[in-house]
Amino acid sequence: MRSADQDLIDRWLAAEQGDRADEAEAALAALFTALQPLQPPAGFADRVMLRAGLVPERARRSLFASLWVRGGLTLCLLAMGVSVLWLPQTLRAFAGLLSVGSLVRIWTGSLVTACRWLGSALGLWDFLLTVGRALATPLETPAVALALVSCLLVSTLAFRFLRGLITRDRSWTYVNS
Amino acid sequence: MLTDAELVARALKGHQEAFRQIVVRFERPVYSLVARMLQDPATAEDLAQEVFLKAFRRLDTYDPQRKLSSWLFKIAHNTTIDYLRRRTPDTVPLEAEKEDGGGGLAAVLADGSSENPATAAERRDMGRALEQAIGRLRPEYRESVVMFYVEGASYQEICEVTGLPLGTVKTNLHRARKELAQHMTELGWAPRETRDARVS
Repeated sequence: MRSADQDLIDRWLAAEQGDRADEAEAALAALFTALQPLQPPAGFADRVMLRAGLVPERARRSLFASLWVRGGLTLCLLAMGVSVLWLPQTLRAFAGLLSVGSLVRIWTGSLVTACRWLGSALGLWDFLLTVGRALATPLETPAVALALVSCLLVSTLAFRFLRGLITRDRSWTYVNS
Repeated sequence: MLTDAELVARALKGHQEAFRQIVVRFERPVYSLVARMLQDPATAEDLAQEVFLKAFRRLDTYDPQRKLSSWLFKIAHNTTIDYLRRRTPDTVPLEAEKEDGGGGLAAVLADGSSENPATAAERRDMGRALEQAIGRLRPEYRESVVMFYVEGASYQEICEVTGLPLGTVKTNLHRARKELAQHMTELGWAPRETRDARVS
């Protein structure tokens, strides 16, 4: 069974031999469209970008990607959550049109409560400092310090080796440098 | 989807992704033109990269009134012609002329994705023969054939890229077609009537 491609070639060559230019041109154009397009090797665009010195644009960083922003927002939300405890009193105060003295009393009470919470937090911080000092005392011994440093070094080397093992097959060896 | 002019405008403002989109959009036609002019896929990739690098450096000279493809083809034309002039005759790759047709440009074409092996093999042979015939054309004929028949460029676009008058482009295409037919016949692809006559 003759293929469509063979028919196209026959039609084209016969038109050329018969000096039928329009028919020959149409047949040749059809023949070219029947062929597979010529594609550049995979990764061509990436290599062009590398040669042009263009690195991929990083995705625009979200405002909330910053640790400080997230930490600040969290503290604000916590403060809002905590202040809800004083909301009824405050609303009552405003609703009842209390005197300035009452308002000052309310806010002073709030401040005292907050300072007590701060004191508790500082106590926790003191506890953590004590634990840290207790852990740091053995490190004053050279032998212990050396053992710790050796462990860190070994673990770092092991991590680098493991990383190299994992990423080896993904290296872009086909990129022109 | 952004137009070519919009992509260029964004690239000129420093949007690297816009330039990358330009490369992705035109990598196939540029590579196709360069590869068929050179008949050497390996060198073609280097030169095609060079074309886009030149385009990147001269992006501010692009006239949005013209087609971006024509502008890129013009750069590809100049780059390829410069390379061919620098190349000494004895370094011309002969891969397109290999006996088994297994190397060079022809081997890149006509993959085996057709519906059956016989059709795939015939298409592969035909593609190989057609590429060999194109490879035998002189560079200016080859370029016009690729631009007109493969990339679908108009006569006017070919004139802009090659810098030749319209009459010359049409004459080149006409002569190139005749030569292609002659080469295909020499490669054994004569029309059925001629083959039947030979057999009888």
